[in-house]
Amino acid sequence: MTQEIEIAGLSKVFGQGASAFRALTDINLSIDTGEFFTLLGPSGCGKTTLLRMIAGFEHPTGGTLKIAGEEMAGKGPNARPVNTVFQSYALFPHMTVAQNIGFGLKMLGKSRSEVDTTVAEMLRLVRMEPMADRKPSEISGGQQQRVALARALAPRPRVLLLDEPLSALDLKLRKEMQSELKRLQTETGITFVFVTHDQEEALTMSDRIAVMSAGRILQLGTPHDIYHAPAERFVADFIGDTNFLDLPVTAISGDVATLTLPGGQSAEARLPAGYLPVIGETVTAVVRPEQAVLGEPGSGMLSGTVASSVFFGTDTHLHLTLSDGQDFILRRQNTADLPVPQPGTPVGITLGAGTLRVLRS
Amino acid sequence: MAKSFSVRRLPGFGAIALATFVMLYLPIVVLVVFSFNAGSSQSQWEGFSLQWYAAAFANQQVQEVSIRSLWLAAVAAGVATALAVPAALGTTRVSRFPGQTMIYALINQPLMVPEIVTGIALLIVVAWLKVHTGYTGMGYLVLAHTAFCIPFAYLPIRARLETLDATLESAASDLYASPFQAFRFITLPLLVPGIAAGFMLSFVISLDTVVITEFVKSAGQDTLPTYMLGQLRRIITPEMNAIATLFLALSLIFVTAFFLITRKRG
Repeated sequence: MTQEIEIAGLSKVFGQGASAFRALTDINLSIDTGEFFTLLGPSGCGKTTLLRMIAGFEHPTGGTLKIAGEEMAGKGPNARPVNTVFQSYALFPHMTVAQNIGFGLKMLGKSRSEVDTTVAEMLRLVRMEPMADRKPSEISGGQQQRVALARALAPRPRVLLLDEPLSALDLKLRKEMQSELKRLQTETGITFVFVTHDQEEALTMSDRIAVMSAGRILQLGTPHDIYHAPAERFVADFIGDTNFLDLPVTAISGDVATLTLPGGQSAEARLPAGYLPVIGETVTAVVRPEQAVLGEPGSGMLSGTVASSVFFGTDTHLHLTLSDGQDFILRRQNTADLPVPQPGTPVGITLGAGTLRVLRS
Repeated sequence: MAKSFSVRRLPGFGAIALATFVMLYLPIVVLVVFSFNAGSSQSQWEGFSLQWYAAAFANQQVQEVSIRSLWLAAVAAGVATALAVPAALGTTRVSRFPGQTMIYALINQPLMVPEIVTGIALLIVVAWLKVHTGYTGMGYLVLAHTAFCIPFAYLPIRARLETLDATLESAASDLYASPFQAFRFITLPLLVPGIAAGFMLSFVISLDTVVITEFVKSAGQDTLPTYMLGQLRRIITPEMNAIATLFLALSLIFVTAFFLITRKRG
């Protein structure tokens, strides 16, 4: 697989001297051709700055950025084979839907007939044919979103950049557009770089995710890796619900550590790559709430008591207090009409094999 | 239940508001009414007549100064608007630079400096120029009016630019437009209402300017307002009312157009 975007040692500092703000630090990244790649992080983590640098709206303070093997330094947005779907859509209000979609091709100097053909094709692709002659103010938010997509796809860019494009839509429309985006990406085969702060959006749509915080990439991997094998506390905390347990290490064998659980039982936990704690050290281990199974008191590896429970319909979240006082959340699927345990009920907790993981600290 | 504060319930609010409107508009109403007076009195109604309008239209001098006023306003407003567009772009579509506020203040200087001061300053400079160059044509008036009109053209254009999402220009350049193409196809068409408003406003301002014209003009360069001022020193006939009413109507047309243009946004 070829690499569409290669970023090495990229950094960005805004301002100078005492008021300087380091927006990005040492970003190394390569994005494959045809990949759906997501930059995920909270607001202010630098994900949009990184996107704007790929687009050419910002220029790096250091490092290199290559698109399709070509160094992009000194090239403006109009000289890069990438197009952007803006958060606000930024449709040209004085032009019709068709004129908006055709704008990029017109600027590239394509012939009138080629522009018309591509615009018609794009209108079909985003199912907006009946709206071709409307102005952006005369169509709904979801439709504007489709036009913004069609406009960015029309010049057939190497890479499509999407800056939180779904954040302005309501939940139902957002779900629709998620599958629509996935469909468009598959149909066009264009590399998508998608920026979002919504972890669910990132997990469901991406081939790979880079989790960012404070201007750095903390972890880069498939949605599966990011969810099941978070390397750092921030990643584990930002994506999904997690139980954090502080446990002492009693033995290490390869990349597996043996930890002592509250109550004295031992459990094995996978270590993140490149992290080796010493015997006796207390590390933070994580287990997802749905990976723990509720049992009778005395069963399983952990014991605790029920502090409270919240009924969610498909599942019930049980807030437990472990024997050593640490909190633990357990998610029980409501596969049958099970009684909800009352607060104070003693319970046993079984952890599935391989579910406990040590975080880098 | 406590009611929210409303200035309209303050004692005397209605009376003061009414008095203000009366003070502003009653004299204008009187002026307009007596322009249709059949007699030559400003105080005694002698029946309806259009004779003073006929007289005004037939007056060679009125024709001459009106035409001069109109073309002077058109040229001054045109040049001022053409200069105000790059000025507005240069003060909004750039990252902040040292001295930006200073430049903003300088552009708007004619709004701040008393007109009489500008008038006397221009009088001195223009008199000096006239002596040294021998040129006494309309150029001085055109220049003076243009300079005076720039802030009136600049402010609506700038206001329009500030409401224009700069992301649109980013989107244009992302879609392969050169900076000039982005301006030509995106910024300029969206700026048209601001430009038109700026032109209208400066046109009206130029039409109306008395003080500066009075100080800068050479002999035989009266504009409509300075001509009217000159006439008032003699006898006031309702012909003056008729001219003033026509002048008012013209200004109203422009101000209404300005309002309609600026109201329709997006």
